[in-house]
Amino acid sequence: MKRFLENIKIAFQALFLNKLRSFLTMLGIIIGVGAVVAMLSIGTGAQQSVLESVQDIGSNLIIVSPGSIEDVQDMRTTMMGDKSSELNADDLEAIKKEATLITQAAPVVFNSSVVSYSNKNTYSTVYASSENGRELYNMDVARGKFYSRSDVSNASNVAVIGQSTLKKLFDKVDPIGKIIKIDGKNFKVIGTLESRGTDMFGNDQDDFISVPVTTAQNKLYGIDTYNMILAQSISEEEIENACEEIKSILRKQRNIRFGDKDDFSVQNQTQILDVISVITGIFTVVIAGIASISLLVGGIGIMNIMLVSVTERTREIGIRKAIGAKNRDILVQFLVESTVLSITGGILGILFAVAVSAILTRFTILETSITLMPIIIAISFSTVVGLFFGIYPAMRAARLNPIDALRYE
Amino acid sequence: MINNNNILIKTTDVTKIYKLGDIRVNALRGVNLEIKEGEFVSIMGPSGSGKSTLMNIIGCLDILTSGHYYLNNKDISKLDDNQLANIRNKEVGFVFQTFNLLSRTNIYGNVELPIVYSVERDGNKKRKIMDAIESVGLSGLVKHKPSELSGGEKQRVAIARALVNQPSIILADEPTGNLDSRTGEEIMAIFQKLNREGKTIIVVTHEMEIAMHTHRIIYLRDGLIHGQEEVKEQISAQEKLKKMPKLEERLIEN
Repeated sequence: MKRFLENIKIAFQALFLNKLRSFLTMLGIIIGVGAVVAMLSIGTGAQQSVLESVQDIGSNLIIVSPGSIEDVQDMRTTMMGDKSSELNADDLEAIKKEATLITQAAPVVFNSSVVSYSNKNTYSTVYASSENGRELYNMDVARGKFYSRSDVSNASNVAVIGQSTLKKLFDKVDPIGKIIKIDGKNFKVIGTLESRGTDMFGNDQDDFISVPVTTAQNKLYGIDTYNMILAQSISEEEIENACEEIKSILRKQRNIRFGDKDDFSVQNQTQILDVISVITGIFTVVIAGIASISLLVGGIGIMNIMLVSVTERTREIGIRKAIGAKNRDILVQFLVESTVLSITGGILGILFAVAVSAILTRFTILETSITLMPIIIAISFSTVVGLFFGIYPAMRAARLNPIDALRYE
Repeated sequence: MINNNNILIKTTDVTKIYKLGDIRVNALRGVNLEIKEGEFVSIMGPSGSGKSTLMNIIGCLDILTSGHYYLNNKDISKLDDNQLANIRNKEVGFVFQTFNLLSRTNIYGNVELPIVYSVERDGNKKRKIMDAIESVGLSGLVKHKPSELSGGEKQRVAIARALVNQPSIILADEPTGNLDSRTGEEIMAIFQKLNREGKTIIVVTHEMEIAMHTHRIIYLRDGLIHGQEEVKEQISAQEKLKKMPKLEERLIEN
């Protein structure tokens, strides 16, 4: 143990003697470990904010949208809108009437519209639903009230405003009771909503106005279809069954023959989580690739410099052997030196990553989170690299013949 | 003086054959040698006579090709690398012509080195090191690096290092070769003092002047012992130093 500490001391002496050389050698490891830890911190941060927003929305939420979503590319055709597969009031009624595994369901229509108050104009998302859409979509009233069932059945010209839109239009004026124009039609502001922050993609979730779905259909956009139907399963455990139930109800309702594909899709948050875990998996593979390449390059650098060091210190090795150092002592001395080099590189890399993450969090919208795991992995991998790439030079040093080593000039 | 009849080193028909490429070099061709405990012996011979090879074998740095070598009545002809390293550490103290100190390590660290590689541990490490440094008269320079020392001081550090593990023999290979004559004489004075205290010392040299400081001279030629003689009138380094002008005085004279 004492000799081991002695070896560590010798290793640090050797490293400090050639500061620039040691630093350049470590640079490979520093950059490799730094990049990996920083990227993992970004990945973890993103994952955490996604999980938070999923939890915000509620994990019991089921989203029914028109068109089939077999894969991500099909989502584009859904967005484009395939008229024949649109959802309508009959679909909603069927779900409400027949589904036993859901507590409630609500229609959603959304569109972009010009919203104005006095001389201020802004583009905003109009997000229209029924009175229970508030609960389903996690909208909490900050001031005033949400539209009621009768507002929906009467198609009243009332609106509730999200925080961002509120700021754009009203600044410091009290919005409650004021009349705003949406696409030129008058609406009375009856409430404001609590801020919901940004979603998993960094989009502002407060820049919208919500109006009764009937008003949006009849008075704003002249449609009788829905963009989505939201439903809530009775429990998290039953969510898959609830989705299946809705599928079979809609297939019957929409007369889809046996063997034909669904012309709608039913999704829930667990599927979104699945997608996220796939993305995270790809991310991890990419990081692992970068890590292994940079650690390989860093390791070769260490091996190179250790070979130089062994040659430079041939005489020292000879002296140590003449005085009684065994092959094993010399081997350990050089192994400790290469490992100290790589671990120091690893630690500097982690510090580098901490700095990068702090800068990113502060100056960009990226969320970062440094956990213990990548740090432990980084340290252990740099140790392994030091040992692996140090063993050959160390063995060369250990095998030197003391007489030849002492004669070396 | 300790018991002079105890044989410390005994070689019988020691040969050593090197291979330099395809050529076989017979460096030693049957050396028979006895050195008793407490002796002060010099080995002389022209270059190529095999004296370095003999010293390497006596110092357990090299293994012989045939024959036997007994150190302290123990046959060490057939030991492996690790066992040889242990013997070098415990039984042998080397002093080289080129000092061979670790340049980045201070005097204390250099003298400590044999203890670092010792198998046995003992608590008096620091005292042993300080005693060794004291015995060569360098107590004031413990924290200095070798680069801050003169040649003579470096060689004293090397002697302190050779002494620290209380070895059976001190092997000095041309210990004064890189020193001026006065400093060389000072080093020989230290060896004579150590020998009076009972240390067995073997000096390899090609200078008769140096060999005359020892008890016995062994002449080596072409890998064989060519002759031996007892030194009847040893040069006392102390006496000689008194007659020699100090370095500064010499510089003024010139």
